[in-house]
This record gives sequence, structure tokens and C-alpha cells, in this order.
Amino acid sequence: MSAQRLDFFFSFRSPYSYLAGPRAFALPERYAVDLVFRGVIPMAMRGQSVPREKGLHTLRDVAREARRLGMPFGPVHDPIGDGAIRCLLVSEHAIDVGREREFVLSASRGIWAEAVDVASDAGLRAVCARAGLDWAPCAAALEDPALRARVDANTAALADLGHWGVPVFVFAGELFWGQDRIEDLEATLRDAGLDLPTWTAE
Amino acid sequence: MASSPADLLARRVAPSAVIALSRVTWPARLGAAARRRLGRRGRVELFFAFDDPCSAIAVIDLAQRLRGRDVRLLLMPVVRRGIKDDPAVDLKRRYAIDDARRLGRRTGLELTRREPLPAQDVAFLAEWVAAAAQGPALTRFCVAALRRLWLESAGPVERAGYGALWREQLGGRPPGRGGARAVRRNERLMRRRRPYDTPAAWVHGQWFFAHDRLAQIAARLDELGWTAGP
Repeated sequence: MSAQRLDFFFSFRSPYSYLAGPRAFALPERYAVDLVFRGVIPMAMRGQSVPREKGLHTLRDVAREARRLGMPFGPVHDPIGDGAIRCLLVSEHAIDVGREREFVLSASRGIWAEAVDVASDAGLRAVCARAGLDWAPCAAALEDPALRARVDANTAALADLGHWGVPVFVFAGELFWGQDRIEDLEATLRDAGLDLPTWTAE
Repeated sequence: MASSPADLLARRVAPSAVIALSRVTWPARLGAAARRRLGRRGRVELFFAFDDPCSAIAVIDLAQRLRGRDVRLLLMPVVRRGIKDDPAVDLKRRYAIDDARRLGRRTGLELTRREPLPAQDVAFLAEWVAAAAQGPALTRFCVAALRRLWLESAGPVERAGYGALWREQLGGRPPGRGGARAVRRNERLMRRRRPYDTPAAWVHGQWFFAHDRLAQIAARLDELGWTAGP
């Protein structure tokens, strides 16, 4: 069975993206899909205002959802600005060395459950190390215009899809917005006959 | 570069405090227990819009899900809602149809309408409901009207047909005056409660996007002691 492409649009500033991460990266273990990680610039850095009510509701709702999912949430350190951009650049480098899953999960957990300041070298270096990434190429990635162009292209691609928030999954032209729509995405993958056989030890 | 105290407060201290406080449940549990001792029922205020397909999913589901609990479902229709100057408002209204279609499938509901409904075409329904007394008959009307709007039709909205539905469920004619004022009152209350879009359920101090969190609303009621009966 040939694997089909599944795009995963993600923002390090989105706690809902953090909640989606572990389940998203596990999808290729159960379905014949190539998960393509696409980090995007946070909505609030793209000129879209986020009212205070929305911000407060998001924190409270994510706290409830994290408890339901058995994930830690809080203390946090909002990465808006440099922190978010630095994580996006390192995630592009991580893709190149095949460690995007490790980095994205490490950095988002650091931001949303350990209050790691990824805008600082010490904070970013710690989450890189946990992901098995050497610091020197990560530091170089922060200055790499080609990686920045990839981040900008991902952000533009999300806008071209006519969408505004994250996390977003795109499969065969169909778009699924929200960590709480992964079950609907999985239903679509099953309908497409992409579920992999489950092997059990004898 | 070290963060300034103001930066740390905004990025770390304040959001982490909001999260920690959101986990404190004893005041709500005490309040719920006091309500029960006074013989008062639990309340779920559901702010919804007739032109919102996700509201249809939430109202239909919650009306069913809350049966057997000692809880009043208060249906609060609104017309104006959303984030001020939201550039994505049209995209969101269109996406809501795809999203409601998927959510409906989870419970066997099939959406028939494929295009957004202009809010003004169904504002009369919000005005009728907002001006009426809450109760099981009003809930039945809302469920039937939302089913007809989103699950059983796709064309223009015929006011006369909904008038007949009102007579069927509540008897008499729909309220003639005061409806628009009652809708504005609901909209003000929704803003006071903090939700900014529909469908939003206010459950004793916490609010939920109702279509997304139906099971969590039930869990909140369980936590407060308003469990489902046998």
C-alpha cells in the first residue's frame, strides 16, 4: 500500500497544536500516510487580533482537554515573537535531519508544560538536546534565510487554503481544523482504506 | 537576553496562574451542593444561533443528553456574535458547515444544507424564542426548528412553516413584540459570560464551545453532582 500525504499545519504558540502533536505524529504508525509537518507563524504575528476573552478561554479549555488526554499543561511560557520563530527555524532543520517529531514534541512540551523560554539560547538548547539535536547546526538554522523562506511558504500555504487557525490537517484536499477533529480525520483515513494491519506477537 | 519582570508576568506568571486557577473546582462544587439543598436545579445556559449549523448539532444533542439529569437547559438565541472585525468571519461560517457535517455523522445526523444561511433570514426565530418562556415545549420547538433548517431542508426559509411548527409545539401564535429586545439581552448576557461565538454553553462558572465539548459538559455536571438518573 503506498502512503498518502497528510499535511500537518502547526504553531508553537498554539496550545491546541501542542495537544495534537503526539497523536498527529503517531498517525503514520497506524495509517499508510506520510505526515508532512508544516510549522506556521502564529496568528497573532500575522496581523490577526486575538481578543483577551479568546486567550483566557483557550487556556482554560486546553487545561480541561489536557487532563482528558493525560497530558501535562502548565506552567507555560508564551513563545510569541522570537521564541516561536526560533522554534520554527529549528523545526525546519530537524526535518532535514529526520528528527522533527522529537523536536516538535520536545519544544512544545517545554513551552506548554515546563515554562521553558525558547527565546533564550539556554531554553532552546535544552529542548534541542532532549530531541537529540546538536546545538551548533540548530544555532546556524536560526540565521538561515532558506529555512525562513520555508516557514513563510508554510504560512502562505495555510492562508491559501482559506484557513486561519491551527492545528490543521489536510488530507486529499479535505481540511480538518482542531486537535478534537483527529477522530474525524482517522475516520476519513479508514474510509480511504489506509489503516495498517495490526501485528500481535505470538 | 534576560526577560523583564513585565515580560515574565505576561508570558509566564499570568497564563500559568489562569491554568492553575481553572483547576480549582471546590467553590463550584460547594455552590452546586448548596443549590441542591435549596431544592434548585442545575443550569446550562446555551447561547446559540439559528444560522449556525454547529448550534443545531449542540442543541439537538444537549436536549437529549441532559434528559434524566436535574438540570434546566436554558436556550438563549443570539444573532450578533463573533470576534470584532474578524477578517475570517465568512470563512468560519462556510467551514462551520463542513465541520457540522462531520460532527453530525458521529451521532447519525446528516446535514442537508450546503450553503451558509444569512443571519437575517432566521432572526425571526431567535426573536420568537428569546421572547418565550423557557421550558420543555420551547426546547422541543428549537430542536424541531433546527432540524428543519439544517437537517431537512436546503432552500429559502419559509416563515409560515415555522409558525405552524410553533403552534404544534407551544400552541398559539409566536410572540409578536419584544423579541428583538430579548435577543439583544441574550447577546449582552453572552458577552458578560465571556463567550464570543456560538454555540456556547455556560455551566456554573465555566463555558464550553458546546458542539466541541458535549461529553465534557456532561462531565462538568457529573463533577458538580448533577449526574444522569438511572
